[in-house]
Amino acid sequence: MHDVTVEILENKKINAVYWKLTFSSSKLSDNVRPGQFLNIQIENSTAPLWRRPFSYYRVSGPKVEILYEVVGCGTEKLSQKKRGSTLKILGPLGKGFSQKIGAKRRILVGGGCGVPPLIFLAGKTKLSDSTPPILLFGCQSDDAILPKTELSKLKNLVSYATEDGSCGTKGFVTKLLEKILKENNPKKLFIQTCGPKAMMEAVMRMARTVGVDGELSFDERMACGIGACLGCVVETKEGRKTSCHDGPVFSFEELP
Amino acid sequence: MKIDLTTKIGNLTFTNPVTVASGTFGTKDEYASFVNYNKLGAVITKTITRLPREGNPMPRICETPSGMLNAIGLQNKGLEDFIENKIPFFRKLKTNLIVNIAGDSVEDYVYLAERLQKENGVKALELNISCPNVKKGLSFCANPELAYELVKAVRDVTALPIFTKLSPEGFDLLRVADACIRAGTNALSLMNTIRGMAVDIETRKPKLARIFGGLSGPAIRPVALRYLYEVKQRFHIPVLSMGGITNAADALEFLITGADLIAVGTANFINPRATMDVLDGIKSYMKEKRIQKIDDLRGTLKPEAGRDGRNCIPAG
Repeated sequence: MHDVTVEILENKKINAVYWKLTFSSSKLSDNVRPGQFLNIQIENSTAPLWRRPFSYYRVSGPKVEILYEVVGCGTEKLSQKKRGSTLKILGPLGKGFSQKIGAKRRILVGGGCGVPPLIFLAGKTKLSDSTPPILLFGCQSDDAILPKTELSKLKNLVSYATEDGSCGTKGFVTKLLEKILKENNPKKLFIQTCGPKAMMEAVMRMARTVGVDGELSFDERMACGIGACLGCVVETKEGRKTSCHDGPVFSFEELP
Repeated sequence: MKIDLTTKIGNLTFTNPVTVASGTFGTKDEYASFVNYNKLGAVITKTITRLPREGNPMPRICETPSGMLNAIGLQNKGLEDFIENKIPFFRKLKTNLIVNIAGDSVEDYVYLAERLQKENGVKALELNISCPNVKKGLSFCANPELAYELVKAVRDVTALPIFTKLSPEGFDLLRVADACIRAGTNALSLMNTIRGMAVDIETRKPKLARIFGGLSGPAIRPVALRYLYEVKQRFHIPVLSMGGITNAADALEFLITGADLIAVGTANFINPRATMDVLDGIKSYMKEKRIQKIDDLRGTLKPEAGRDGRNCIPAG
């Protein structure tokens, strides 16, 4: 865990929804696991006061990329930052997704800001296997679909569900998952999901119905990011745990 | 120039006046990656209660202009877990461990005090009689007689220095302070958070599950400073000041106004090294002003207002 001042290498809009921030720091990139996150101090002032948490999107060598949406005053200010300006970044934080899942096939179900860490995770798996991961992404419309250059080798593995039907299947991403669960032996699947809470809860419910194991990553509002303030707790079978320090990734088994 | 930051409260010596506000620094080694605990004057734990508490439902926190609201609700694993799993970490350290405690009744506080004073390593107690986020949190602080009764009961069972932490809101803080001093508190901690509220205009719901939460951060700093000033004008009692202290300049405002100790709180969440930055900044300031001892700086507030001899209140 390090708190590092970094220089922005690039900060640009890549489609109607996502911005991509790039910086370089070996302290923040070494031994990072998909699902871990960074807490970024956007302004050296009291507005906004808190840092903002972002999951890792891609790491290569010391270079780190994050994808973000402008959703409030913090990300608004972040989007205005130019190449060469500095940010104070705390990371890597939290526990990531399991990378070793045995002989099971990985099903990655993402929505909104939950998509970037799953792309990072998929990129870490061996795509040459006979059973590469299946990526199921949901969004409102084709606005949010990532450019193919972002997905590179993963592009043929992704299926989309859009609420307005402008890309892929019309409806929620759970529609895609339903089909996968029907067509495969549940014992040979492992689901990892990140996105809106309602989506993840639906995914976990469906998985439990057919006996599929998996993990989900919470995106709770947080202040410190290191397990001190207890502002971001989630309910687990063993009581309330912090999503920043004990999570953000929890197994379905740990959750009520 | 060798700077001497030694601060004494009763028999307890602090190597410097920089501490942390209860609830912002965890209960053990949460900040060890960033802070050399031995460089802190004291570590004040998150509130410990007799039995484990799971705290309030989510959402518990929200950001506000230059501050934040929290309604954590004293989540902690309880006294026995603290004694078994947390205190040993502090025994190896040179810093003073001050344990913040709260209960639902006088008996709870007395029980906690009796139990903790037997533990090696506990240097003082801070009585949280002002948590706005639990059912009976403010009841002792709301009434000078009850505050007196509580502090007296704890005083009777322990020789440990007692800090009593007060709330600024809704009550006559000076009357409660007076009661606590008469009951034998060694110091006052000023101040706890101020209750506030925020609304999500999209969902038209309160942003916190408990509707109200305690406001902390730079937004409340002037209020904390004012209470420190009032208490110091009226009483001869050591004060541990907290409320929005983010950097050395903030801390110096409190020290100049007479704070014996200062605590960094919400700022720890944004800058985990905030305490170390405050400490370094205080030293730099003293070097620059050629002040060798913190005692020669503390409480040196001048009676007249203004900058460079001119009044700072604009005319008209």
